[in-house]
Amino acid sequence: MWKNYFTISIRNLAKRKLYAGINILGLTIAIVSFLAISLYIYHEWNYDKMYSGHDRIYKVNQEFSSGGEGQMVSTSPSALVPAVLEDIPEVETGTVIFDISIFSTVLISGEELSVEESKFAYADHNFFNVFDFGLLEGSPESALAEPNQLVLTETTARRYFGDSRGTVGKTLKVESGEYTVSAVMEDFPSNSHLDFDFLASFKSHRHGREPEWSPSNYYSYIKLTQGADPAGLNPKMEQLVEKYLGETQRNYNFQTAMHLQPVTDIHLRGDGLQGVKPGSDIKYIYIFGIVAILLIFIGIINYVNLATAEATERNKEVGLRKVMGAERGQLFNQFISESFILSAFGVVFSLALLALMGYKFEEISGVPMQIGLLFTPWGIGFLLVLLLMVALLAGMYPAVILSGMDPLKALGKKTKLGGGAWLRKSLVVIQFFISIGLLIATMIVKQQLDYMQSVNLGYDKEQLISINTHHKMMETIPSLKSELTRKGLASSASLAADMPIYIKGGYAIQAGFDNTKEISITGYAVDADVVRTIGAEIIAGNDFTEQDINRNTAFETGEELNIILNESAVRELGWTPEEAVGKKVQAGTPARVKAVVGDFYFNSLHHKVGPLMIFIDQGQTNLLLVRLAKGNPSEHLANLEETWKRLVPDRPFNYRFVDQEYAQLYQSEARVGTIFSLFAGIAVVIACMGLFGLVSYVALRRTREISIRKVLGASGSDVLKLLSADFFVLLALSAGLAVAFGLWFSGQWLSGFANRAVIPLWIYPAAILVVALISFLTIGYRTVTVFVRRPAETLKDD
Amino acid sequence: MIHLQNINKYIDSRFQRVFILKEIELTIEQGDFVTLMGPSGVGKSTLLNIIGLLDEDYEGEYTFEGKSIKAMKDRQRSALHKSEFGYIFQAYHLIDELTVYENIETPLLYRNVSSAERKSIIAELLDRFNMVAKKDLFPEQLSGGQQQLVGVARAIAGKPKVLLADEPTGNLHSAQAKEIMEVFQELNREGTTIIQATHSRENADYGHRLIEMMDGKIYQEVSI
Repeated sequence: MWKNYFTISIRNLAKRKLYAGINILGLTIAIVSFLAISLYIYHEWNYDKMYSGHDRIYKVNQEFSSGGEGQMVSTSPSALVPAVLEDIPEVETGTVIFDISIFSTVLISGEELSVEESKFAYADHNFFNVFDFGLLEGSPESALAEPNQLVLTETTARRYFGDSRGTVGKTLKVESGEYTVSAVMEDFPSNSHLDFDFLASFKSHRHGREPEWSPSNYYSYIKLTQGADPAGLNPKMEQLVEKYLGETQRNYNFQTAMHLQPVTDIHLRGDGLQGVKPGSDIKYIYIFGIVAILLIFIGIINYVNLATAEATERNKEVGLRKVMGAERGQLFNQFISESFILSAFGVVFSLALLALMGYKFEEISGVPMQIGLLFTPWGIGFLLVLLLMVALLAGMYPAVILSGMDPLKALGKKTKLGGGAWLRKSLVVIQFFISIGLLIATMIVKQQLDYMQSVNLGYDKEQLISINTHHKMMETIPSLKSELTRKGLASSASLAADMPIYIKGGYAIQAGFDNTKEISITGYAVDADVVRTIGAEIIAGNDFTEQDINRNTAFETGEELNIILNESAVRELGWTPEEAVGKKVQAGTPARVKAVVGDFYFNSLHHKVGPLMIFIDQGQTNLLLVRLAKGNPSEHLANLEETWKRLVPDRPFNYRFVDQEYAQLYQSEARVGTIFSLFAGIAVVIACMGLFGLVSYVALRRTREISIRKVLGASGSDVLKLLSADFFVLLALSAGLAVAFGLWFSGQWLSGFANRAVIPLWIYPAAILVVALISFLTIGYRTVTVFVRRPAETLKDD
Repeated sequence: MIHLQNINKYIDSRFQRVFILKEIELTIEQGDFVTLMGPSGVGKSTLLNIIGLLDEDYEGEYTFEGKSIKAMKDRQRSALHKSEFGYIFQAYHLIDELTVYENIETPLLYRNVSSAERKSIIAELLDRFNMVAKKDLFPEQLSGGQQQLVGVARAIAGKPKVLLADEPTGNLHSAQAKEIMEVFQELNREGTTIIQATHSRENADYGHRLIEMMDGKIYQEVSI
């Protein structure tokens, strides 16, 4: 019986090529989008779930507060984990990672290769106990136990030694120290929040050998014993902080709290905390999940629309079968098998398309498309469930309608299916609504992204480059700087701890009589030239000069340190910029406000501009910011490199454009934008295919009417009006709904940004117009093909 | 076998009731070959549809082999319809997408006949109507007479007791019509009850009973 259903279905589909084609294409595009998004979500959802006991692994984040609002940082002191392991029995093991690339790159030299590496970290001997990555060579117990040991990933080992096998025991030079390769590990999976090329034993580092409570530069991870309650750990953590830091805290008037963060939350619920890799947001996962389901729905709606419209053409067949004794259930099965076949084609074509085009999506999303996952037993199960769901959802309604037809009416003259029309119209409204809604959402996302790229940051990020420096080359810097300006390559250059796009140092300053007023403030360690180099604006007082001393000297001699505050800091301290100049504050050391600089964005645009303090301290810097002179940048860069090589022969010339780094900051938003526009486009395409099919049927069914009208003198545009009137009423209805959705969405999306674009109102009519225009063209095309048929031909049958 | 008692079917319009069938009294025994005659619109097709359980919208009592149709449940009625009736139409109504073989097979599929049995039944029918060579052709490749033969084969494939034919030869020329009627006669001889509606007096001559209809009523019955 089923075999018969399938043969009939296939013949039916072969006969109705347009119908089958539109349906298969629509379903394919919908399913391929769904699969791509599913793989994306699967990847993100399983972040950091590959370690055994991942639900017991926690990262320890640290919250500083000194009076005002607390500041959460993802790093903690190197002494924390050893203390926790000793004092808290619920902690099974723990490890410390020191990601040196926060500060600078590391020069690694092998026999053939010498590269400035940025994915270099120190990890203590427990690393593989917490994160059980596989080792290709070496043993997890001893790999990081001794000083000057180095674990390479497989790819890195191949890069330096040509082969990952047999590398254990070989040596590499890390800066000036000799390191022995102790193990080769598998590459870090793309969905681990850890991503390094090198792991050196923490004992090679001073703070690894002698754990200390300051500074807080390390990532601390702990793994609880089975059944331990993480919430129960909080009081013990508090006791521990009190035990080791209590006195210091009281002396320096600040508080520290340690917070446990599940390792699986780092990627999606990181709240913008700095990590080894930029994180994503669980919000995006939800948004994409919804988009995936919407797309599948659009595909299904296409099918339902076309199949019910087509039902009018098939009533004779249904009637006959009923007269010959078909029961409703049997007919139902037949129509379901048809939708099953179409859906199966959809799934198969989607898989092929995914295999061919997956890499494109990979580029856009930055997430590998592990298509192989779909061919594991679970993946196949997932595909089958998907197939079944789509086939049933798509086939159910048409099958009910068709199998329920009255045979006598069906065999008589052509009948119209009244009930189906209402449903069809609602479905068209839903399709239009989703299409227009997604377009509007895309435009809102784009507006905000464009705003972030074009907003006046308060400094000039164009033509500004950042070159990595090293503390050993500090003596050369002044001559390098003067050489650059003398040769006309740079208009100005300055040492800095960070690029102005993202300044990280957390400090507190006190002001007022008896230093009673205290605020948290971000500190920017630089040299005297920074304000002119980045192009910020001094609004009161005078810029630094070479005579201003640096912070270290101030500490040692007790001399007053000159600082520059930004407008926000001054406002928070209760001064106008003019009043502020000359005021004395306490910034770890006595300091005097020398100038006030206009607010500039030194943090993600998700946050408002906070208080900022700029001070001179070359010791903390690791970048040279260079404002390129006017003229051809690539020429300047070439000359720059040549100058660099001459003055600093032992350090590679490694530069980045600040504006490109700035764009990087918003990479995840930019990706969301691109993915969004991609799928919004796809939604519109599928919806219009459905519309095309639907209009085709309406036009065919009304061929005779159109011919009669033509004989009576109707013009092409009259016919177009006739055919499109209905659809435009539906479009108007959907547009209304979509605008309401857009207004809601813009509120939602923008609430994540402290600095928001003003969304212009034109995007609403624009989105509607785009969809209306495409619909109109679709209907127009179909009208023309019907209209040009000769009335004599279409009318002769009756 | 078939007993119709005071069957009325009508359409109510605002001011009057238009009868399509009025006070029909009819008894048909097993093995009868009955012809319904009369001009177009007289109610012949409607009566056939009622007999064939395709139309349930009427008043009056219809019993089939002593069982009241109205008293039956849907499921019983549809089972009865499936097992006892075969249909032949004026416009053949073959399914265009199916071959000759598959068209004949369709009613058997709905009766859950096993594959082997289907094959033997269809082979027999194809043989009987000399259509073995045409079994893989589609309806549009056949002449009208051949299409109607397929229609007949399809109607009798399920071995119904009653064969209902609505103007079976209306679209055929006389030689083809003669062939179909001879098939009917032969089926009737083998025991199938046949009820046909026709305009043609010649066709009526193949049957035993001629029922003339007029304005929804049975006007007179003639034995042949």
